[in-house]
Amino acid sequence: MTSRWIALTLCLATAPLTAQGPPPAAAPPRSAKAAAPVDFTGYWVSVVSEDWRWRMVTPLKGDFASVPVNAAGRALGEGWDPKHDEATGQQCKAYGAAAILRMPGRVHITWQDDTTLKMELDAGTQTRLFHFEETAARKTPPSDGRATANGPLTWQGYSVANWERPPRGVEVQNAIPVFSVPTGLRGRSLEVTTTRLRAGYLRKNGIPYSDKTDVSEYFDYRKHPNGDEWFTVTTVVRDPVYLDSPFITSSDFKKEPDGSKWHPTPCEAR
Amino acid sequence: MRPFLLILAAALIVPSTAHAQVDFTGEWGPAYHEDRPERIPGPEIGDYMGLPINESARRAADSWDADRISVVTPYQCRPHSADYGMRGLGNLRVTREIDPLTQRLIAFHTYMPAWGSERTIWMDGRPHPADEAEHTFQGFSTGVWDGNMLVITTSHLKTNYYRRNGVPSSDIRKFTEYWTRHRDFLTVVTVLEDPVYLTEPLVRSQNWFLDPGQQLQPFSCEYVPEVLAPTADAVPNHLPGTNPYLMEVADWYGLSLDAVRGGAETMYPEYRQKMGPPHTTPPAHCERYCVCSAAGGCDVKPPKPRSR
Repeated sequence: MTSRWIALTLCLATAPLTAQGPPPAAAPPRSAKAAAPVDFTGYWVSVVSEDWRWRMVTPLKGDFASVPVNAAGRALGEGWDPKHDEATGQQCKAYGAAAILRMPGRVHITWQDDTTLKMELDAGTQTRLFHFEETAARKTPPSDGRATANGPLTWQGYSVANWERPPRGVEVQNAIPVFSVPTGLRGRSLEVTTTRLRAGYLRKNGIPYSDKTDVSEYFDYRKHPNGDEWFTVTTVVRDPVYLDSPFITSSDFKKEPDGSKWHPTPCEAR
Repeated sequence: MRPFLLILAAALIVPSTAHAQVDFTGEWGPAYHEDRPERIPGPEIGDYMGLPINESARRAADSWDADRISVVTPYQCRPHSADYGMRGLGNLRVTREIDPLTQRLIAFHTYMPAWGSERTIWMDGRPHPADEAEHTFQGFSTGVWDGNMLVITTSHLKTNYYRRNGVPSSDIRKFTEYWTRHRDFLTVVTVLEDPVYLTEPLVRSQNWFLDPGQQLQPFSCEYVPEVLAPTADAVPNHLPGTNPYLMEVADWYGLSLDAVRGGAETMYPEYRQKMGPPHTTPPAHCERYCVCSAAGGCDVKPPKPRSR
């Protein structure tokens, strides 16, 4: 028995040794752009094979199908008045971050800088910025009125991004390395959390979301057997005011060779 | 003592690529937050919206009559095929099959109570069988990892439907699935290729949320003649040009006739500029399937306004 414990101790002690050596020189952390596991840049078109009659045309008033909207939200939706939205300059209520990727249209994704991914959308001519780093500078409202973590509420809100790590359960590393091999370390999804949203619509027919809403998005890139490149974004909208439960959708985008079909249009209330 | 050391040594040298990258196991609840009226109560007759179908598919669907299920009783217990099952959605259980000797992942198994559908996704590198091998409703599936994404290829499917209002799928279609897990959400993208009925791949994505603790129910189905058949071999249908119900969906929802007929062109944003006007004056207010309950159903008629 003693020999067995010696053997186990030896193995446990030896495993970490294989990873030891002279302490590595401190390398500067790679920027989000340099560390990107996949490339989302380029022009992409939304392919509407789902929710067609709620996305390609403006749904009828009172059509709340599929959305877990509560009674208060339905009451507000029944009062939807696109004329009023136009008269008050709120034509973009259905083009906010909680809904805009359900709009038929194209997105253009570029790196604004090493830590900021920019997504432009031709539907409603909107721009979203995904910030990979929270810095004190960003928390200070810039003079140009852009959204910040502490700034005013806007249609696109303030988005924090990271390259998502795969689900790991508890964060502490308790697994005994001799008996298990760590797997699932190749996370490559883009996770975006958006807050500071101005109240808007989940659909163009006035299904509301409140300014208490936050949005989680997970972008996954893939290449199809025929070589086409796509990404799917899973969107989780949480609104304690007008939703009974998180509103979960996933939207599919296909890569285009260039921006020849890019067609910015203004927001439309109807 | 020597066997003990050998076991420890073996544990150290098993290659990591043989193991699961992400844990999909457990019970999942479906999120019907897209196309719920189509997926729960069922699609409207003549609704081909968003499907990249060709004229053959359209003609076959136009001939469909819902009485077919009531009269031709074997249709009553016909299961959803693997591809439609992932779209129709339902409660889902995923388990892993592990080789007890090598501890490698052999397969994922899935169970959905609707029609008791069971699938096996082989992860051990075995090839797909020859084209002439048996075709089944769940087909033959193999999976590989692409980072944290599980990529599944399925072949050997029986004929079925892309939408359960008669839009057909052929038995030579294949489909690829992309499974990703984000925290407690599961997203499955299905890419269907069918040279018989589709002009380009049909791409759809479905969502589940982790819902542990479910005791999934068994499923049973018995044939019951629901409608008296005019003849013993009758198959209810509509001959070309005679189906009187095909325009209803456009009129109920204020849509143009060409839009509801589907086709690849209708899936892209620029189609909105080409789309014709509504077939008839749209209703001022939603009249069908306007509100869906948390339990899953959608009311055909909207609830009456409360009196004040």
